Amino acid sequence: MPHLLLHYHVPITTVHLRCSFPSPKPTAHIHLRSNPTTGATVKCMANPRRVKMVSKQIRRELSDMLLTDKVLQYAILPEAALGADRYLSSLTTISDVEVSADLQVVKVYVSVFGDERGKEIALAGLKSKAKYVRSELGKRMKLRLTPEIRFIEDESLERGSRVIAILDKIKAEKKTLADEDYEEEAESSVSAQDDRDWESDDPDEDIIYVK
Amino acid sequence: MVKPIPKVGSRRNGRSSARKSARRIPKGVIHVQASFNNTIITVTDVRGRVISWSSAGTCGFKGTRRGTPFAAQTAAENAIRAVVDRGMQRAKVMIKGPGIGRDAALRAIRRSGILLSFVRDVTPMPHNGCRPPKKRRV
Repeated sequence: MPHLLLHYHVPITTVHLRCSFPSPKPTAHIHLRSNPTTGATVKCMANPRRVKMVSKQIRRELSDMLLTDKVLQYAILPEAALGADRYLSSLTTISDVEVSADLQVVKVYVSVFGDERGKEIALAGLKSKAKYVRSELGKRMKLRLTPEIRFIEDESLERGSRVIAILDKIKAEKKTLADEDYEEEAESSVSAQDDRDWESDDPDEDIIYVK
Repeated sequence: MVKPIPKVGSRRNGRSSARKSARRIPKGVIHVQASFNNTIITVTDVRGRVISWSSAGTCGFKGTRRGTPFAAQTAAENAIRAVVDRGMQRAKVMIKGPGIGRDAALRAIRRSGILLSFVRDVTPMPHNGCRPPKKRRV
């Protein structure tokens, strides 16, 4: 259900609002309420399904821009301007795009693979090109109001990778400990058997069964 | 095929070409194709002959979960496990596509112990060739 709130200094009327782009529910009702306490703020909340579609589309457009647009590439990877773009020192990926409910603010989570310096350069480059990205997005996408774009560093992938590396290390250490213990046990059991059956000729004496 | 591979006379060398395994490959190339909905990881040798491959879909993920970074990471681990036994130590990484699998797979490769020699981006870029599909209206 489209949910629209409008505070305005007008007595109660109902207005049909037709959106300029095709959407599943093209018409929506706005109830104008007189509210003398608040100022003349206009807030327009879009359909949550539409918000998701817009965020997906923005993600596609921004990823495409990162791959193809020369200006952005020079911003995140300065050595590309010199021509050294075959072997990358850092790799920038857009991991997530969050759009506010009124489609005015877009938070872009960027994950950079590389060393510390590469990360700083990439993020600083992106933040300096935020206005350019906004204008490019406006040219590519047909939106009534092109949203403001904020680039945020996404550390979740790196943190997850660190945690998994630590877990792997612990698992490997446990495994080596368990192997050592198992070998010790096997040795002690074989020597005990020898002590007990030293007279009998057991053909299977020397065979140690190890999994 | 892309590269002309010189034919080795199987009879002359006394080696049968049916021998598949037991080829030790110290260097290789890992291709990561990361689209928005899936990640495919192919491990080849330096000439481009495929050794093993894995993808998020083959790792048991279905639908929207294939596009997640965790799925890309599992696919990378699966693909590399098969090759580490063959003795691969160094690898180049070729990355194609815009998805989130790029980053996740790279991190998984780095964690696995294989030395990364180079990371290259080989996303196909036309010099203004074919007409792209129409714009999505949203």
